[in-house]
Amino acid sequence: MSTQSDNKFTGNPREPEPVPLAQADELGIKQVLDCDGNANGNLADPNLSEDEVRKFYEMMVLVRAIDDRGWKLQRSGRIAFWIPLLGQEAVQVGVTCALDDKDWIFRAHRELAVWLLRGKSLKMLFAQFYGAEEEPLRGRRLPCLIGSRDINLISSTTQVGASLPHAVGAAWAAKLLGGSEKFLIFFGDGSASRGEFHSAMNFAGIHQPPVMMVCVNNGWAVTTPLDRQTASANFAAKGDNYGVRNVRVDGNDPLALYAVTKDAHDNIEEYGPTLIEAVTFRLGYHTSSDNPDLYRHEQECELWKPWDPVRRLRLYMENKGWWDQTREDALIALHEKEIQEAVTAAEAMKIPGPASQFDDVFAETNWMIEEQKERILSEVKADD
Amino acid sequence: MTEMTVLEALNAAMAHELEHDPKVVILGEDVGIAGGIFRTTQGLQNKFGVDRVIDTPLDEKGIAAHAVGMALYGMRPVVEIQFSGFIHDCIEQIMFCGAKYRWVLGGEYSVPMTIRAPSFGGIMGGIWHSHSPESYFAHGSGIKIIAPSTPQDAYSMLITAIRDPDPVLVLEPVPLYRTLRDEVDETLKTQEFGKAEIVRSGSDITVVVYGPLRHKTVEVADSLAEDEGIDVEVIDLKTLIPFDIETLVNSVKRTGKMVIIHEASQTMGFGAEIATSVQAKAFGYLEAPIDRVCAPDVPHSYRVGDEFYIPNKDRIRAGIMKTMEAIL
Repeated sequence: MSTQSDNKFTGNPREPEPVPLAQADELGIKQVLDCDGNANGNLADPNLSEDEVRKFYEMMVLVRAIDDRGWKLQRSGRIAFWIPLLGQEAVQVGVTCALDDKDWIFRAHRELAVWLLRGKSLKMLFAQFYGAEEEPLRGRRLPCLIGSRDINLISSTTQVGASLPHAVGAAWAAKLLGGSEKFLIFFGDGSASRGEFHSAMNFAGIHQPPVMMVCVNNGWAVTTPLDRQTASANFAAKGDNYGVRNVRVDGNDPLALYAVTKDAHDNIEEYGPTLIEAVTFRLGYHTSSDNPDLYRHEQECELWKPWDPVRRLRLYMENKGWWDQTREDALIALHEKEIQEAVTAAEAMKIPGPASQFDDVFAETNWMIEEQKERILSEVKADD
Repeated sequence: MTEMTVLEALNAAMAHELEHDPKVVILGEDVGIAGGIFRTTQGLQNKFGVDRVIDTPLDEKGIAAHAVGMALYGMRPVVEIQFSGFIHDCIEQIMFCGAKYRWVLGGEYSVPMTIRAPSFGGIMGGIWHSHSPESYFAHGSGIKIIAPSTPQDAYSMLITAIRDPDPVLVLEPVPLYRTLRDEVDETLKTQEFGKAEIVRSGSDITVVVYGPLRHKTVEVADSLAEDEGIDVEVIDLKTLIPFDIETLVNSVKRTGKMVIIHEASQTMGFGAEIATSVQAKAFGYLEAPIDRVCAPDVPHSYRVGDEFYIPNKDRIRAGIMKTMEAIL
């Protein structure tokens, strides 16, 4: 990470920086696993059971497989858009598993695992990608922008970072009304440049609501690298001036992410809010509309590959004797079958009619909307 | 019945809701011990405490944004923006988060927030203290806009706004805060939005107005009756979104003429929406083009803005006469 005095930006692509996860101690990054899955980092192994670690691993493998399929569905024209998550599987799994189901999660764009970890179906997830009538958001949001009230998951605003104060405000409300829920928001490194980041940190520091703010620092805000985003030494440090506790954690280490989030969650009355910077890397495209070859050095992904979160957790499990190739093959075959079933089901679902999009503007509709609806429906019909 | 100023009526409305609903909180700059720069919330923090009447950082966007989050959780935050000239930093949070969340979240969440925006000119406040922001908020969806301009309307409509399940923008009539005093029936807690009021019945021409100009317009109508024998019908729109098309159309069908008065600048002003909607439903009844008397598309001058920028009585009178004299 460059600093203010180290301003050498000459445009992209340029020689990649070393992987910060390789210098976790020097950079103040909490880490359980080394690059080969050995639990010898600066943070103690949370010693999760075999079942718990397998749940982490299987979910990371599953969302990676979903990402692969979603990308292909977009490229083949079956769905309009895709937001890749490749390389960022650990954050969504490690963090979500540290929360209680009643806790509210405000998403960024890539956290598909929250949906599945909280018991929603793969079929309904693909239904959202297809914008089907029966998914909770009724085809209104782009693929991957999932949410559902029954699992306390709030879909992201597309203006990234705009929802940071919503998480803080909801947490503040719960504190004022005596609610027992805790609140967490995922947001990206680019979002930390927005005014809402400042507002959210400022209000959180003053009122100390039960909120955790997870900055998923994946190195790139679309095409803009970190040193064009901020001159701060890192994102966690921004919390200091707001009176917000902060921690940097290896964003490709699900065990460290779990431990750090669990600590922030369980001790929230003592700690107040925590800003968690998860240092990770986006191995894929920003979205299906992006082309990283334009701005990212080809070597950068290669440098990050040894730090692949799925690989590291698999090595950890193999070291423990909890995993082998037979299990891996069975898991991949199972996911392939389940995903295919979900795709087939989603393809058969109805898409919403135009009339449904006039619902929910207000709790009760008004003559203005109804008159526009009536006219448009008659015109659409006349066209057929 | 209690006699109150507009400001006292707003204060009484907030006090009542704070008293009866623990989910109601007031948020804003200096709303606590000072009671806001206009003293609208005076005494409320002493009575209800610092966690109900909350002094915020100087961050309009942040205030609106945190209120959106509080409302998602189920609170009923009442946000005071110090002057509506400062509200533009909140447009994204109010219009593209608060006002859209019900729809984008599939109808599963509500955002029952109220935004109090001290608005309109007449206090020699210059550009940012004399603002009418309604058009920015009317162009979109998911937010109601009201403009009460009597103590009774201020009382009943603010309570209605606080209890509404959706975001409501309240354009408060700054120049009337302390200058207009009238009886308030505190048993009338609510008033249905979307209902205009025929303030003065007349048969020759329909004049549509909202906000503080309602009162000047009635004075002009009275003088026109006396001087010219012209019988003006004055309608206070009171709610802009959704506006009461039925009352306007019924009136213009009787009078055949309509003039719309507002303080916001002309281009894309709310008068354009009223004129288009009314002519579409009553074209055959119109004897003259629908006209507007409003601010020009220039900023509001501190020294002379109140004299001509806001339609004064001369401009309102001239506008009505122009339409009366127009021959189709």
